[in-house]
Amino acid sequence: MSDLPSLPRLNRNGHAKLAQLCLSGLPFSQVEVDSSRYTSNNIFGGTIAHRVNRLAVVFYCLGTLDLLGVLESKVPEAARPRWREWFWEQQTYGKYGTGFRPGPYMTPEHNEADPNHGEYDVPHLIMTYTALLSLAILRDDFSKLDRPGILHFVRSCQQEDGSFSALPNGGEADLRTTYCAIVICSLLDDWSGMDLERAITYIQRCSSHEGGYGQTPDGEALGGTTYCALASLKLAPATTTSHWETRITPAERARTIRWLAANQLSSGGFCGRTNKVADACYCFWCGASLDMLGAGDVVDRTALATFMSQCQFKFGGIAKAPGERADPYHTYLSLAALAVFQPPDADESWQLPQLDPLWNATLDTARWAREHIPARRSPS
Amino acid sequence: MSAEFEDVLLYAERPEWADVTPLPQYQGVDALAPINYSAEYQDATDYFRGIVKAGEKSPRVLALTWNIINMNPAHYSAWQYRYKTLLAMGADLEAELRLMDDFAVTNMKTYQVWHHRRLLLTALRSPAAAAAELAFTARVLAGDAKNYHTWSYRQWLLVHFNDDDEGGLWAGERAWVEELLEKDVRNNSAWHHRFLVVWASGVRRGDEDREAVGRTESAFAKDKIALAPNNPSAWNYLRGVLEHTKTPFATLTSFVELYIVSDAAEAPEVVDLDNPAPTEGAQLPCVHALEFLADVYEQEGGEQVAKAVEIWKSLANEHDTMRKKYWEYRIRDGLQGARA
Ligand SMILES: [Zn+2]
Repeated sequence: MSDLPSLPRLNRNGHAKLAQLCLSGLPFSQVEVDSSRYTSNNIFGGTIAHRVNRLAVVFYCLGTLDLLGVLESKVPEAARPRWREWFWEQQTYGKYGTGFRPGPYMTPEHNEADPNHGEYDVPHLIMTYTALLSLAILRDDFSKLDRPGILHFVRSCQQEDGSFSALPNGGEADLRTTYCAIVICSLLDDWSGMDLERAITYIQRCSSHEGGYGQTPDGEALGGTTYCALASLKLAPATTTSHWETRITPAERARTIRWLAANQLSSGGFCGRTNKVADACYCFWCGASLDMLGAGDVVDRTALATFMSQCQFKFGGIAKAPGERADPYHTYLSLAALAVFQPPDADESWQLPQLDPLWNATLDTARWAREHIPARRSPS
Repeated sequence: MSAEFEDVLLYAERPEWADVTPLPQYQGVDALAPINYSAEYQDATDYFRGIVKAGEKSPRVLALTWNIINMNPAHYSAWQYRYKTLLAMGADLEAELRLMDDFAVTNMKTYQVWHHRRLLLTALRSPAAAAAELAFTARVLAGDAKNYHTWSYRQWLLVHFNDDDEGGLWAGERAWVEELLEKDVRNNSAWHHRFLVVWASGVRRGDEDREAVGRTESAFAKDKIALAPNNPSAWNYLRGVLEHTKTPFATLTSFVELYIVSDAAEAPEVVDLDNPAPTEGAQLPCVHALEFLADVYEQEGGEQVAKAVEIWKSLANEHDTMRKKYWEYRIRDGLQGARA
């Protein structure tokens, strides 16, 4: 589009500063970040509020620094052990297996001797996904990871209909939690933690007449959960009844691409549902979905970057829309979208490393995860 | 928060809580992203951890958890424990719903609010209570017509109870959706809900003649398109109906042709009820109609694909330039399909 004004610079320093600031402390007004079901609701762009939990905020901030290539300088090697240790402290085990919880907010003091979780301090599926990726960003060696315990936990979360609940003893069960279960198994490269065929059937049932996927089988098509569905269908290996190539028929694929492409609006940003306004996070959810379907070409990259440049907050960070306040969630996802869709002919400030759209991690971080998270197989 | 309750004491200061041992939160290593809790919140959650450890389930636990979720509606353990306490006490669950009504309206974007109601309704197993919940969600949606949680909850109620009797839960859905669309024809949540009610949830009472239903629904969508031709929700519904009933898009050619002219005056004078013309002043040609017609040609295949390509070119270069890349993709894809 020739009538677009030339692209201003990407405020890399400002965005890195916001991430650092958020890592160093959160005001009480963000107390809701403390417990995670709320978050889990928003982590995939499900609602307008976008308030997120503590562990997730840390993930967005670390991811932002990783994408900007400044993790080394902003989180020096000397500071990392404590960060890793904080994550490992959230790993909890008990009768439902092992996983990560959103934070120690239900953990009493002087509990060090007994990390065995009770009914109300259990691991959380979305947090487990988030913690594994964060630890990979921090280049942890994963020697503390209880792999069999994690698979046991994932199994405890699977429901009759194939979906996964956020907690082994309750909580929401939908496409977001199902995606997290699938990524966890994919990170561990071990699928014994789930009944794959039932999970795939569940995902397919979430497809809506518009072409996108709803949060649950009867829900309205939504950008975030469409991403979850497509990434899951791509990550899950073939089974005897579900061949990878036939999971999405050509007609379904065309319909999904059509719906996703229609979500890019004249501002250049994407909306998450038909007839809603553009929001920066959906640039990632919808854009990455198109990329996974092999239709990344249909995204207008220049318009997308223009929208992002307008969402940049003057004091750093990226907001959901122009004129709004920036937050870690939209900052990270906007950069992730830009990493997938690099604007052509932009100056060097817009250059970002390549991203693995399925795991939502830079290729370097994904490589690290692949080398360190799966169990070491004895040479055969 | 404490400003609302002027003389509220901390739990630590209340004699009636003296028998509970508060459990402070484990702080761990230098917490990343530390949160600075208020004194009230810290105090209440200390007592909550104490209660959970002791396993107490009593009326004062309801008061404590109510206090905590008012400070932090996302505290899922407080919700979870509250629910277990209600069950253990054999409490009146409908009274709990009424207590939560205003809270749900204020916190409608909090997931827990709706999950709690869902658990209560599952335990109640009462279609009458579910009917009251439908009325409640209608009130909430009157204030925020696109709230995803509220819609999800309503859809769950309908499918969970699946009460298709005369005057049952499903009976009023279509009329209610129509009311919503009268207010805002672009309310995509309402369109989606209509698709669920009519097509995606099985055959409802009175809807057994699927062909007739298909005709009614396609007429409904066409009327709404006439009112606002550039409304993707209505077009998506219409496409959904055709695909669901396996009706070729070509059956609607004479309808869409009314919307591809560049000037409404070119439209035929005769009023055709099956093919309502665009409302006066509508922006024409309508991109969705052009797209639809191109799909008709593509479905017909062979020579017709060239006509589809012409339309896609006009969309890319003239009528929908912002989605130029998509239309170019359709041209590539269409030509490839025609060769294959
Ligand atoms: Zn957003």
